[in-house]
Amino acid sequence: MVLEREILPFLVWLLPRVDSDGVLQLGALLLVLLIAAALLVASLFIAYLRMIIVQGPGEGFYAVAKSVATAVTKDFPNTSWRRIGAMTKLAILESLRRRVLIVFFVFALLLLFAGWFLDPASDHPARLYISFVLTSTERLMLAMAILLSTFSLPNDIKNRTIYTVMTKPVRASEVVLGRALGFCAVNSVLLLLMGVISYGFVVRGLSHTHTIDPDELEMLVDAEGGQVLSGRTSFDVGHRHDLTLGPDGIGRTGRRMDHEHQVWVEGEGENRRYRVGPPEGALVARVPIYGSLQFMDRTGRPGEGISVGKEWTYRQYIEGGSLASGVWTFRGLDQRQFPDYIPLEMNLSVFRTYKADIVSPVAGTITLKNPTTGLTSEALPFGAQEFVVYTHPIPRALKAVTAEGTLIDVDLFEDLVDQQGDLEVWIGCSDAAQYFGMAQPDVYIRGQEGSFAWNFAKAYLGIWLQMIIITFFGVMFSTFLTGAVAMFATAIVYTVGLFREFILKLVGGELDGGGPLEALLRIVFQKNVQIDLDMGPVIDRAVPVFDQLLLFFLWVAAIVFPDFSEFNTSRFVAYGFNISGNMLLQHFLVTVAFVIGLSIYGYFFLKTREIAA
Amino acid sequence: MEMPATSEMASTQDAPSEASGGDVIIQTQNLTKVYRDFWGRQKVRALKALDLEVRRGEIFGLLGPNGSGKTTTMKLLLGLLFPTSGQALVFGKDATDVSKNERIGYLPEESYLYRFLNAEETLDFYGRLFDMPAALRRQRIDELIESVNLGWARRRQLKEYSKGMARRIGLAQALINDPDLIMLDEPTTGLDPIGTREMKDLILRLRDQGKTVLMCSHLLADVQDVCDRIAILYQGELKELGRVDRLLTVQDVTQIQARGLSLEAQDEIKTVIQRHQGTLMSMNNPTSTLEELFLNIVRDSEARPGRRAQEKQ
Ligand SMILES: Nc1ncnc2c1ncn2[C@@H]1O[C@H](COP(=O)(O)OP(=O)(O)OP(=O)(O)O)[C@@H](O)[C@H]1O
Ligand SMILES: [Mg+2]
Repeated sequence: MVLEREILPFLVWLLPRVDSDGVLQLGALLLVLLIAAALLVASLFIAYLRMIIVQGPGEGFYAVAKSVATAVTKDFPNTSWRRIGAMTKLAILESLRRRVLIVFFVFALLLLFAGWFLDPASDHPARLYISFVLTSTERLMLAMAILLSTFSLPNDIKNRTIYTVMTKPVRASEVVLGRALGFCAVNSVLLLLMGVISYGFVVRGLSHTHTIDPDELEMLVDAEGGQVLSGRTSFDVGHRHDLTLGPDGIGRTGRRMDHEHQVWVEGEGENRRYRVGPPEGALVARVPIYGSLQFMDRTGRPGEGISVGKEWTYRQYIEGGSLASGVWTFRGLDQRQFPDYIPLEMNLSVFRTYKADIVSPVAGTITLKNPTTGLTSEALPFGAQEFVVYTHPIPRALKAVTAEGTLIDVDLFEDLVDQQGDLEVWIGCSDAAQYFGMAQPDVYIRGQEGSFAWNFAKAYLGIWLQMIIITFFGVMFSTFLTGAVAMFATAIVYTVGLFREFILKLVGGELDGGGPLEALLRIVFQKNVQIDLDMGPVIDRAVPVFDQLLLFFLWVAAIVFPDFSEFNTSRFVAYGFNISGNMLLQHFLVTVAFVIGLSIYGYFFLKTREIAA
Repeated sequence: MEMPATSEMASTQDAPSEASGGDVIIQTQNLTKVYRDFWGRQKVRALKALDLEVRRGEIFGLLGPNGSGKTTTMKLLLGLLFPTSGQALVFGKDATDVSKNERIGYLPEESYLYRFLNAEETLDFYGRLFDMPAALRRQRIDELIESVNLGWARRRQLKEYSKGMARRIGLAQALINDPDLIMLDEPTTGLDPIGTREMKDLILRLRDQGKTVLMCSHLLADVQDVCDRIAILYQGELKELGRVDRLLTVQDVTQIQARGLSLEAQDEIKTVIQRHQGTLMSMNNPTSTLEELFLNIVRDSEARPGRRAQEKQ
């Protein structure tokens, strides 16, 4: 899996810092506070403007001050859980009456039919299955959240049932919070059901076994003189495995389509049977131990990698056949955790300047170095291909080159890992004129395995958090918009959030073709993005100004709205990476911030709304 | 019988009634409401500079033809609408203050209730909104369902209710918190004659318990039967305000009816009347019906728009 962005450690993420480029990064906490302050000022200003129109400057100021004071001194402190509970229960009953459970059956039906179309014989069946269930759950769930949350309050206002509610001592904040919590509760139950079904669907969809025909097995003799059976399994769901059976009658198949099987022998003589276990290794949750990356330039001195002008800016390339390399420093490695070998995994991107042969891997070398003594191991060769994760178990016994140039036997932990448990891993490319692209998360040591089921659940937690944010947005919008408009607005928030990265690039001028209006003109008048717009002086001036304004609003939206693409953790699960608790915690806190902010906005919108008008 | 013009109908020098001494529960000053459309353009001037006081322990009726601003007044008092100018105070608090709702019960024009809840769930929901503990809620629910005679339908969803049943559960909903002030918007619409009678009895009973009732209606008979004081609105303006018994007394007509008078005495009275060029019919102050009063005000307002009422005691 290719990580588009580094996952920061929690405190680094939370607190202000200066990053490696010397740029001040605010950190999440300060950013939230700043955004909150900016929104507060902007909102008060807009509220004041509105009240000036209605009541005049003096009265208007008094009115705004009074409603803020009422909120802080009376309404918020008098919040009652029983009233919130009443609104929550109402929302749940209403949802049930609107037969939301139908969505669940739609989902079940979807999976039923998907079974026909998802090809278990694909190269990465687990990836396919997991992405499918997670994506469809996410889409269905968020659509559900938007529909449920946006129509309820406007319906109440339209049917005037809100009259009997708002003439009770219930606070606007309690109405907003209760409603939102009710929909969240309903959706949570739905999500849980979907999760259980999805999990079963994935596990069942991938489960298969093979048979072994004894006639196809060949007797070999291994290095110790033991008798080893070698052969292959039957061909099922689009693949077969090579296999070896040890003298003890136990063995494993080779790895195909991201999994392998255990093989064993049962019975004696006539009753001798070969058994193949369930697929293993398809549903995993690797817990990677990341190192920090430093580039060596082509002369072998610390420097920058090369940008080959594509992919993400943070991934840099090293040239093959030169001294350029990427150096990962892993810290705090513990011998007890890796008694036999260190499982190094890498997922380098490959950039070929010639593609005569794109099938065979590009050759590279791994060199290990003790950061303290400088002792360096012999280069271990490997081959890398696009989009493939390679596992390189680094054995304990290695050869190292001394200063005199002689090879000596060394032990990985005794000699190459230093006292603090630090180890440098140098990776270079040996094919001249080919390049390896590297970013910090591309090379890691595979630590202990996480539980796949729990990882799957964590992906659902990601969807759950998105659902909560969407629900609160929906309810917030529905306090002052009609149902259809609120639904549209919520959908826009989701879209902007999904394309946040793109919008920020657009605003930053990193994309050719200008802003929205300019781009539209270019499409209509068939002008490609490289030439000037050249449509007369007025249009040439006016279009960028208009676009700047539009982009400003988009920028504000992109800054303020949640980054939904970031919440989507299905790719972690699909590619078998553990979703770190740290990331989940970050997402959780972001959700909490949105829940608080949106509830406050919802309160003020509903409170200042003339309900019977 | 010839009806005198309303303006001369009630005297102003009567002694204050017993209700006027109580504290003020509702007070409006110069209360004005202009409905605007989305663009802020003026649509309807629904209420014009209303000054009103409702005191503790009285049944106050808001009267007026359709569209005269009765419901608007009530919504302003409840904080469902914000005044364009002037102010409305309930229990001395601004009408937009949520905490005043603790002591208010409101029965809206139509039963705006959740149709997917049953009677019990409905009352339980509203009880929770008053932060009532579960035991108290259960007790109130039983009492109220009993008193509005819906015991047989307490577990049926409101969407299956007839209009009158919905009205009853609406009333129960308004009383869930044992309110001090009850606002009833046309309480008897949709009720059968027995239901209407019961509703009126209930309103009187509430008054006897020391509660204040504000009701609006155009069913004059109801108002006449139960209200202590009324205000008559016409096109958003207050046209008449005062005690029902006084308003309905025709002050410039004397009706004499007597028993046991000697012939001489009768002759004497007759001569007095003849001396004043009068014809004796019978002797007393007749009462008009509210209907007559009402129609007169409407007629009068159409003839002389803009005249406003003084409080008459
Ligand atoms: N939401 C609204 N928007 C615009 N105009 C309104 C609105 N509600 C009421 N009006 C207008 O305000 C005026 C007063 O209406 P209101 O509902 O207060 O009358 P009412 O006295 O209660 O009448 P009824 O006896 O029919 O219930 C009417 O002209 C009505 O059209
Ligand atoms: Mg009305």
